[in-house]
Parts: sequence; structure tokens; C-alpha cells
Amino acid sequence: MQSEELKHLIDRLTKHPEWKYHIVYTDWQTDFFRFYQSQTNYNISKTVSTLDVTIYKEKKSFSFNIDQPTITRIDSALENTISAIDTLPEDPDFVDVENDLSKNTEKVKQNNILNISLDKKIEILADISKESEKLGYRLFGTFICNYQHTQIINSNGLDKEEWNSPIYFEVKAVHKENQVTVLETYGGENWESFIKEDFISHLSLKMQSALNERIDVEPGEYDVILAPRCIAEYMQYLSYGLSARSYDQKSSYFQDKLGQQVFPEYITITDDPTDKDIISVDYNNDGHIYNPLSVIDKGVFKSFFCNNYYSFKTGLPKNGNNGSCLILKEGKETLDSMITSVKKGLYISSLHYMNFINERETSVTGLTRDGTFLIEDGKITKVVNNLRFTEKIARIFEHISVLENKSYTIPFSENYEFFGISSAKAPHVLVKNFNITSSTKTI
Amino acid sequence: MKTKVQQILSKLNTPDITFADVRITKTDQEQIYFQNGFLRNFGSSLDSYALGIRVLINGCWGFAGTRNLSDNSIDKTVKLAKDNAIHGSKFIQKPVTFMPIEPTLADEVFLPKLNPFKMDNEEKLSYLKRIAEKIKPDGKIVHSYVYGVFFHQEKVYGNTEGTLTSQSFYNTLPVMSVIASDGNHIQTRTWPGHMSAGRGGFELFEENKFEENTDRIIKEAGDLLSAPRIEDDRADLIIGGGHLALQLHESVGHATEADRIFGMEISYAGKTFIKPQMIGSLKYGSDIVNVYSDSTNPDGMGFHPVDDEGVPGQKVDIIKDGILINQQTSRDIAQRLGLNPGSNMKASFGDDIPLVRMTNLCLAPQKGSLDELIANTDRGYYVDFTKTWSIDDNRNNFQFTTEIGWKIVNGKITGIVKEPTYFGITTEFWNSCDWICGPEEWKHHGTFHCGKGEPGQAMQLSHGVAPARFKNTVVKVKV
Repeated sequence: MQSEELKHLIDRLTKHPEWKYHIVYTDWQTDFFRFYQSQTNYNISKTVSTLDVTIYKEKKSFSFNIDQPTITRIDSALENTISAIDTLPEDPDFVDVENDLSKNTEKVKQNNILNISLDKKIEILADISKESEKLGYRLFGTFICNYQHTQIINSNGLDKEEWNSPIYFEVKAVHKENQVTVLETYGGENWESFIKEDFISHLSLKMQSALNERIDVEPGEYDVILAPRCIAEYMQYLSYGLSARSYDQKSSYFQDKLGQQVFPEYITITDDPTDKDIISVDYNNDGHIYNPLSVIDKGVFKSFFCNNYYSFKTGLPKNGNNGSCLILKEGKETLDSMITSVKKGLYISSLHYMNFINERETSVTGLTRDGTFLIEDGKITKVVNNLRFTEKIARIFEHISVLENKSYTIPFSENYEFFGISSAKAPHVLVKNFNITSSTKTI
Repeated sequence: MKTKVQQILSKLNTPDITFADVRITKTDQEQIYFQNGFLRNFGSSLDSYALGIRVLINGCWGFAGTRNLSDNSIDKTVKLAKDNAIHGSKFIQKPVTFMPIEPTLADEVFLPKLNPFKMDNEEKLSYLKRIAEKIKPDGKIVHSYVYGVFFHQEKVYGNTEGTLTSQSFYNTLPVMSVIASDGNHIQTRTWPGHMSAGRGGFELFEENKFEENTDRIIKEAGDLLSAPRIEDDRADLIIGGGHLALQLHESVGHATEADRIFGMEISYAGKTFIKPQMIGSLKYGSDIVNVYSDSTNPDGMGFHPVDDEGVPGQKVDIIKDGILINQQTSRDIAQRLGLNPGSNMKASFGDDIPLVRMTNLCLAPQKGSLDELIANTDRGYYVDFTKTWSIDDNRNNFQFTTEIGWKIVNGKITGIVKEPTYFGITTEFWNSCDWICGPEEWKHHGTFHCGKGEPGQAMQLSHGVAPARFKNTVVKVKV
């Protein structure tokens, strides 16, 4: 939106001193390359400009959203608000909009959509494809660049801007004959950190491992090495119970556990947007600054993610965090020594379709995919069909016995209704007695 | 909107473009959310326009979308779509091809009984507030909500074959839920369940009997806190319509989306266990299992005059007498499989690409009421109201948990069980189906939240089902 429209909106809002308001204006673009069977599926370019406004009159509120805002559309939405707001019931828990005026250093980032052309993406993919063909694999996946500018303004004088341009490159190599799949990803905002040769080398190693014999395993408890992507995903699911909203709904595993030892003392989790390998976040949706937050410190539960509304409602201390930058601190062992220590167990590369059974208990079910392997006598020996687990995430963290001495940045695409890219950081972990409940009999 | 679509199409009728289509949608959405008896959110998004342009050049698709419909923006979007196809075609091994079809000219308008966008706010709010106050925290109930989402979309679709259609419809998602706690554990009860959305307006709250069921969900949530779990290893399961709709959705609907056969959705949504050679021979279910894709039924949210690549709406048998005989397809994929296109290509908004989608995917009714079915079950469980769902990458291994189950002994319900969980393999499960209730129990259930595609899209669609029984299902899952 041009500043003329935003200025017009604020001028009109300030003519109502009885109103409080919260505005989020977002300009979002994506350049989205989908490929399958080592060829182009679609090239998609999209642009969306969105204005989200919430207006409060004492404890009554009304929200509107305008795509591609113009002065006429803003005026129409405001007239609608004026006619509606007095008729609405009150929310007694609303007190005020965000009042944190502290700012991060504004970082105008280069637009990676312009930085990485479609031709460049295809060139990289063609090179990877040449290597994968040699081993009998075809490539499937996405190569995405986003660019987003967000402005957050409210009636408490908050006025903040944020730029993001994350890259997400995901390659699934699927064997032409037996359909065994392995995954390699790259994510971040600094394209210079992408090293094609390393990417191909990592993927090739996985493709070679996946050429071994394929077997099934019986349900039961296994010692498993979870790849960083897996433990990072469990950590993200755990963050449901870390929100003040779930605390307010009496649905949090951490309900009465502040200050208590909940996991082994070698488990430390932070939510840290300042880590150099993480896709950074400057503010939460309210505009509160997103600072590093200790979540689990040496196994002790330290903090809920708590925004302005739930801080008033629950009395929990306010912060700007929501679990978008989770980091599990690394341990002391090498991955090789972790694998060597396993007599019989599994290596799990990636998870699929996980859902809560009971949030308060952190019970979930889900599946493995993109490479599950058998470990025998300290070596990865065979490919295993995809498996179903039914577990409690809290129990998984309680049963971590070893953490790798190295962390990896894991990009995640948030792909439900709105497309976004975030990241987490974690090492490999060894989990004892992980509960496999059935086999899919497929790969 | 029609004129604009025609103007854009005129720019795409050039020799370098094999095929092109243009969609414009205009969408209104409103949501009302009461939490713990109080209005927490009332918001709207009105007159939201979205444009998508898709071109096929050198056997490669290019797509560009925007919400800015100015002339300058449209020109830029046309150029982007063409550039995407031209550059993308440098990495093509098998060009996209399909047969031309006769153009369709059609206009369809659906009007709800109670138009939520024309009702007084006070009327809507006072109704929902009344419900919210009935279920607000009290005793064992520690949290509750009542939620309504109202959706109106006008869509114009046109393509270079001469098809030009318009459609206007209203869909509504009504739901309420309570959480009960004993201090250590929680249980939830939701009404009318996970698949509560449907074609229509505010009347869906009345039709789903919200006011008559507030006391029921409060009592059941409280009772579930001390209810036993299922102890059997295997049991006969009667699955109620709301949950069976999701079972059908996950283990038949997504499995028979043919884009998955070719790996087009591997990186997010996944694959399917179905191979092309299985079509016409795979015994997917028992002889009474008949599943069809029906975009001609205006009562479901999947109704349309043409899909989003110009294929007229149609009713297609997917499983006939238990045998897999067809797939849900696009024009390109249908041709690869030697099938006729099934009118399954849908995009959520104008600026989304069309994907192979369920429309109204239905399980045909057989005979008998739910009461008769329960009376004819010696020992088993009646389960409904989805709590958890999960299915593997190939749509083969699923595990579901419902909020509540009722134990059946000698044809009578004897008590409730909490979080009944069952697991199965898709074809084994559908082959164990020995009873599907009749037309008197058959109705559409629907969702606003079927996620698929990258960039992600949430589709609104319906499933017509009646309760059914599945023999000897695994219900022993260690949690």
C-alpha cells in the first residue's frame, strides 16, 4: 500500500479518540518453483498486499481485512465498523493494545526473488538431477523465494517495520524402481550460504544409503536416532503447550510446571531470533519485539510464550515470542559415535502427518517418511518401510539420552492457508524406548 | 468480472500459447468467535478480488496471480505467467498435453435461506451469544467456544477454448466446543463435529440443532473424564456420519487424487499406494462399497458448472461394487491414464493454481437406520466426533481417535468410552465394511480446511455418507 492510503486510514482513526486500533500492513510476494520427476511442474508468481485492522471501543472490538487497499475500500470498511461496533458484546478480558515501543535494528533485506532467477534455479536443479540419475533417482520438490514487508502500527504510538526474504529449497530423491525416498533441504535468507557441491554431496550420501535392502519391522519400543528435522518438529508441537493461550485453556502440559525440572538437565531450548543460522523474526503479530527467550534451561521449564492479550488475562509475563525460532542446544557426541552405540534400533529422517490425541498429555500419532533405516550392531544396514508412532512428546524429550555435538538449521514451510517459511535448529538425538505402533507396509 | 476475463483472454489468444485460462474470484468472509461466553473476535473481509492467469507454452505450465486488478497489474501478471512457462519449459522431459473439449457457457447462482451478509449483526450475535452463554465455563467445563465462518464467493472462469462461466455461492462453517477438566486431565466435546461445514448460510446453525445439544456436550465432556478406554484388541466398529466423512476423505478421497500417482504433490501432501495398473481391478472395498465424485449435486460445496480448467461438472463412479474403476483427475492426468477428465481441478481463490481436488465425494447409501444397525450388532463400539486423524504418505496406514465412543453389547448401548482409537490399512478396512445405512441416514458433511498444494490452499468440499459398520477393526493402540 502507498503511504497515502495508510496516512488516510490513520487520519480517520485518530478522529475517533475513543478508539484504540491495531494495524498490520503486509506486502508479500512469492516465486514458487515446483518440480516433479526431474522436470518442471509449475512456476508460480504471486503478489498480495493485505491490510489487517482491529478497532477497539472500550471492550468492544471489530476487525477487518482488505486485500489491495484503496482509500475507497478503507472508507467503506470504516463505515461498516462505525455502524457495527456499538452493537457488539464486550470482551471483559481486553485491556489495551500492545505498548512495547522497543525496536529491533531495521534491516532492509535483499529480495531473493530477484536474487535467484528461475533460470538459476533450473540450472542448479539440472546439476543435481545429473547426479541423482546416476544412482537411479528422480527429483521432486520445491524451490521457493518469498519477499515480505510488514508494517505494524497501533494507537499506543507503536510503528514498526520488518523485512524478510526467506529461501526454501527441498529436494526429494525418489528411486525409480523401489520408490525409496530421501530428503535434502536448504533454508535461510543469505543465498551466499548455499553451497551446491555440499548439497549434492549430502544428498548423494543419502541416496547411496537408501540403495540397501528394504525390510519391515514389528511394532514395539526401539532406540531411535532422530534426525534434526524430526526433533525440531517435535519441539514445534511441544510449543503448543508453551503458549499462554493453551495455559488459559487448561490444555498445557506445562500447566503448573513453571520452575520445575521437566526434562533431563542436558535439555536446553531457547526461542532465539538472533541466532545467525535462523530465519529472523523481529516482532510478533502485536508488534512486541521478539527477543531471545529461555524456554527450557537445563531441563527446567522457564517461560510461556505470552502476548499482550493473554498477559492481561492470565497474569503471565509478556514477551514477543511464539516459537518461530526454536533452538535445541547441542550435546557432546558425534553422530557416528551415537550410531555406533546402538545395538539394534532405527534412524528416522523425517516425520509426516502428526496430530495431537490429547494436547494436555502431549500424546500424538504420526508417521516416518523420506528415509527410515535399521541400525544393527552400530551400523546403518537396511531401509525400513515407513512406520507409525504413537507417543507422548514430553516422554520423547524425557527419553533423550544423547545429543549430537553439532546443530543443523531446519527450514519449515508453513503451508496451511498462508504460505510462510520459518526455521529451527537442532542436533541429532538418541531416544530410548520410542514407541512404534504399526508399519505402513509401504515406502 | 466477465468482461475483464474476456479482455484478458483476448491477450492470450496468440500462436505461442497452446491453452490459457483466466479466473477472477470476488470473496466475502465473516467470522464470529465467542470464547467462554464472550465475543472474542468479530471480523470481516469483503469484496476481496483475486486474479489468476495460467498459460501452457512449449508443453509447460506458467502461472501468475495477483489481487491487484488494475490494467497495469494485469499486463504485468500476463507477462509473468508467460515468462514462467517459457523459462520453465527449459526443464521439461514430458510436455503437458490434453484433448480439446467443447466450450461451456453457464451461470449458476445459489442463495442461502438466511444470508449472513445481509442479516442484522444483532440477530446473528444474539443467537450465538445465547449458545455461548449456555456452554460457558462452569463446574468441570473450563473452556468453551462457539464459532461461525461465513463465506460467499463469485467466480468467473474463462479459457481459450471458448468456455465462459460464472458461479455465486454461500458456505458456512458452524461449530461449538467445550473442554472439561478434573485438574489433571482434559476431555473435549464438539458439535456437530469436525466435518460441520456446508452449502448454505446462517440457517446451518438451526439445522444442526445447536441449542438442543449444548447440555449434551457439557454432560458428555464431563463424563468422559472418568470414562474407561477400549480394552479389546479388535472390535466391530460402527462409525457415525461426521467421522466417516473424514475416514472417506483421507483413505479414499486423497488416495484417488491421480496427481499423487505421478508424484506432483510428494513434497507436501504425499503420494498414493494406487498404481495405474490397479484401476479396473483393485478390490478396494467390500461389494457394498460404492464411492462417486459428484460435482453436479448443488447441495454440496463441491458443486460447479465447470471445474477450474473448463471440464463440465459430472458424476463419476470411483469405486463400483468394491472395485476401483476410476480416479479424480485433471485433463492432462486423465489423458496419461487413458481416462476421461473427472472435473476435479479446483483452486481456492483466483490467484491459486488449480489442483486435483475432491468435490462432493460420496459413499452411496445402502439400507437400514442407525438404530437398526446398532440393534444388529452383538458386540462393538459406535464412534463419532473426530478428535485425531493421521494417515501415511501413501494413504495406506491410518489411525483415528474420536472424542467419544459408545459400547454396544447384544444390540444395546451400555456406556461410553473415552478417546476410542483405531488403526487400519486402507483396502483391508474398506473390505471389512459389512453394513452401510440407508438414504434416511445419508447426508452431506463438509470441511473448509482440506489442505493441499504448494503454495498451500484450503479447499471447501463435501462428503455424502451414512453410518457404516466395519468388522474386526484393530482398536488396541498403546498411547
